[in-house]
Amino acid sequence: MSRDSNITKIIGKDNLNKLRATKCLLIGAGGIGSELLKDLILMEFGEIHLVDLDTIDLSNLNRQFLFRQRDIKQPKSTTAVKAVQGFNNSKLIPYEGNIMDTTQFPLHWFGEFDIIFNALDNLAARRYVNKMSQFLSIPLLESGTSGFDGYMQPIIPNETECFDCTKKETPKTFPVCTIRSTPSQPIHCIVWAKNFLFAQLFAADINVDSNSENKDWGTTDEDEIKRIKQETNELQELQNIILSGDNSLIPKIIEKIFIHDIEKLLKIENLWKTRTKPIPLNINDIKTDLTDRDLDLSALWSIQDQIQKFSSITSKLMKRMEEEDNHIEFDKDDKDTLEFVSTAANIRSHIFNIPQKSVFDIKQIAGNIIPAIATTNAIIAGLSSLVSLRVLSLLDYAKISKPTDLNMTFTTKASNISQNRYLSNPTLAKPNCNCPVCSKVMRGVMNIPSNIFKELKLKDVINILAAKYNFDTEELSILDTTGQRLLSDFDFDSLDEKTLEEIKVVPGSVILVTDETEDENGMGLKPLELYIEAKDINIGKISDIALPDLKIPLVQMTTPEEQNNESSTFETAVLQTNEVINLDIDDDNEDLKKRKLQEESSNATQNKRSKHEEDDMEIIEEDDIIELD
Amino acid sequence: MSQAVQTGKLSADEIALYDRQIRLWGMAAQANMRSAKVLLINIGSIGTEIAKNIVLSGIGNLCVLDDNVVREEDLGCQFFLEKKDVGKLKVDVCSPKIKDLNPRVNLTVDSDSLANKEETFFKEFDLIVATELNRDQIIEVNKISRKLNIALYVTGSNGLFSYIFVDLIEFVSEEEKLKTGRATIVGEISSNKTIVEVDTRVDDDDPKKIFEMIKTKNTYKPFKEMLQSATLEGKLTKRQTKRVNSILPLTISYLTTIPSSVEELQKNTIATCNKLGLLPSILKEEYIQQFYKQVNVEFAPVAAIIGGAVAQDVINILGKRQSPLNNFIVFDGITLEMPIYEL
Repeated sequence: MSRDSNITKIIGKDNLNKLRATKCLLIGAGGIGSELLKDLILMEFGEIHLVDLDTIDLSNLNRQFLFRQRDIKQPKSTTAVKAVQGFNNSKLIPYEGNIMDTTQFPLHWFGEFDIIFNALDNLAARRYVNKMSQFLSIPLLESGTSGFDGYMQPIIPNETECFDCTKKETPKTFPVCTIRSTPSQPIHCIVWAKNFLFAQLFAADINVDSNSENKDWGTTDEDEIKRIKQETNELQELQNIILSGDNSLIPKIIEKIFIHDIEKLLKIENLWKTRTKPIPLNINDIKTDLTDRDLDLSALWSIQDQIQKFSSITSKLMKRMEEEDNHIEFDKDDKDTLEFVSTAANIRSHIFNIPQKSVFDIKQIAGNIIPAIATTNAIIAGLSSLVSLRVLSLLDYAKISKPTDLNMTFTTKASNISQNRYLSNPTLAKPNCNCPVCSKVMRGVMNIPSNIFKELKLKDVINILAAKYNFDTEELSILDTTGQRLLSDFDFDSLDEKTLEEIKVVPGSVILVTDETEDENGMGLKPLELYIEAKDINIGKISDIALPDLKIPLVQMTTPEEQNNESSTFETAVLQTNEVINLDIDDDNEDLKKRKLQEESSNATQNKRSKHEEDDMEIIEEDDIIELD
Repeated sequence: MSQAVQTGKLSADEIALYDRQIRLWGMAAQANMRSAKVLLINIGSIGTEIAKNIVLSGIGNLCVLDDNVVREEDLGCQFFLEKKDVGKLKVDVCSPKIKDLNPRVNLTVDSDSLANKEETFFKEFDLIVATELNRDQIIEVNKISRKLNIALYVTGSNGLFSYIFVDLIEFVSEEEKLKTGRATIVGEISSNKTIVEVDTRVDDDDPKKIFEMIKTKNTYKPFKEMLQSATLEGKLTKRQTKRVNSILPLTISYLTTIPSSVEELQKNTIATCNKLGLLPSILKEEYIQQFYKQVNVEFAPVAAIIGGAVAQDVINILGKRQSPLNNFIVFDGITLEMPIYEL
């Protein structure tokens, strides 16, 4: 028997040949990406183009099975392709780069693929690829994992829900006053140490914070706001100590932030009516021992050890400031910065009677580390590659009559949602009619001859758009959706005379065009989103600009849901809870309840995906998930 | 399970390497895994995935037993194998590749036939994962695992369809769960599970959060007994009974008797439905045809899913986290359904 005898029994010879002629794009060569690459090769996809911008790190090796200790610091995409040569039969093309880089990966490049597999680790890139798949109507298999939890969702443009049809959780934020004056959890002290203290001492260009008068302080207590502002000014003095390089002044820093500042806080009596009062450090506890000692990073240290470590690490960072141009950024893998933040947070926790955390634990919180394991990645990648057969219509005995017959999946047993099924497999939902990406706009590509790109003014664009689609130029607004900038509207026309190049609208930019005219029923033309491309012809005129042939329909311009955006978040949360309970105790009536919930909800698709969304919340891997304000 | 567990501390190197998973299951579980001894019987498509996953995760000792040689058709579903390996012993080809995945793991291979193995061979293991075995082999291995009190996972692949059988004999799992309005009560929760103890713990960081620490006793049946007496009667609601996936009776029927034709498979499976307390009308014609066509076929994506699920459960029980699978799981690669039945 031959290499392909197994798969032939499953999909048949003809479909295997189709698979061998299929060209796919795999974005990400990390946890899910390594697994997907292996699966797609064994399935004999004809061409696999693999994109990743990252290099290999030691902490990847527990799950990214194509990489070894010797590969650390090497690019993931090219290393992965080398690693699979032994069992590979496909044409493999690796790219080192960011998928959102429009120079390296313009829209027409995406257009070459029959199917896209997302194996990404951040929300921005997921959204971007989703948009590309929508522009070009290419099926997208979206996936993600976080620890034991994982999901996989096929997205068929115009037919099923897209990635942005459900609301994604944004980074968690805390009010300024909780962080600066009244912490009650370890995370408050960690945010204070990282985003405030460390940033002010080592990474700030001196005092940007207190100037903003309209800042939302999270409190209306005038005394407290005054105190916060004053404290910020005083921090400038501390930064001067750091810059002086004189490490005999370190006790002064400790005294200021862990004694004087706390004493000032205690004077604001309002704050302590219902809270436990903080206890400042004792001046006798502050010693000037700067020896660098090795302590167990996974243990909890005594307060004396914390203070000693804080002093020695501050001394070390002072020295580094001179060498590093007076600027050090927090990096979870930079041991000095991590230990500074850990000790500062723990000393503050001690003062506020909050439990302390080990350096190991603080690394996860401050560095926003998402736990990741080989097994969940293998399962999710397996599901993603498997469902591609039905998406590409290669299973003759399991043909779908419509794309919403396809299944998405998420883990339920490992995620503790259900004890009687390992996976949940709901069929796909239709696009959410309020989705800003796939339903609220029309979409197309605007092809501009490259020779006239340079001279083309925004005004010219407005005119040809108005001519083509019957827009009212007086009511037209144009937004650069990539940078979220307003370019033109009825009372802002100062950019109209500038060229596209001057206002940084370049090939790869996406603009949103809206005619704000509404009739008496609140109806208006559906907004139009255009992807800007340069067409490779050199003798073109403005009239050669190619706009998509679209009939733009009338739609309701302002909907009640939009006005109530705030409360819908709450509604979603309630729905999610409902369904989690539902899955657990009453498997049986799930569909019935689902339907009932759908009737109650204006957004008929949301509840189906409760867990899925919860996962997304966790897979957002941004540098600064914890923000001050 | 033999619990000669020497849980020494993890080194700084190990903590750095296993960072992303220690954050999930903790240092103690990671240390437990390092002292575990696992036997893997047969390294086919699912076996390869299991070996990869548990070796990456830092299992201490793995022994692979397989007397097969590499065939041409294995190349399409097993990523350790290359064209030049055809004709060689599988364990010899896979051994250096498994080692390379994680040099810390103590790996041994054995190309002896399973039939030659005496009871004493199995004694040293904490856990056995057996793949690609027929009924009689499973019954034989299960007899030994029961006698020596060793945890057993059995799994096999039929193209787009697959199954997992688990026999942990008796296993008490400890789980932590955020306390909701209704407190968890001690007592029987299903035919194979009883909650034996519930403690509460207040969260270190947030005193408003209360966790329940729940001890659940899982009981299991030997494979032979399950084939003879398996039933879903009284375990599912009427509605659930109607929605049971065809793959369950098909798999049980095939494991009981290998049919010589698709008609015989159909006949046997209808009998299995009756034994299980299911209406034969749940059987889908297309599934009977495809199951028969795809029997024993290996397929990479399915192996990845099943291999991932088995390895995850192995890691869980060695680390004593989360409740284990109990006791029969089927996977349908068309609808991606993966129900867990207590048989």
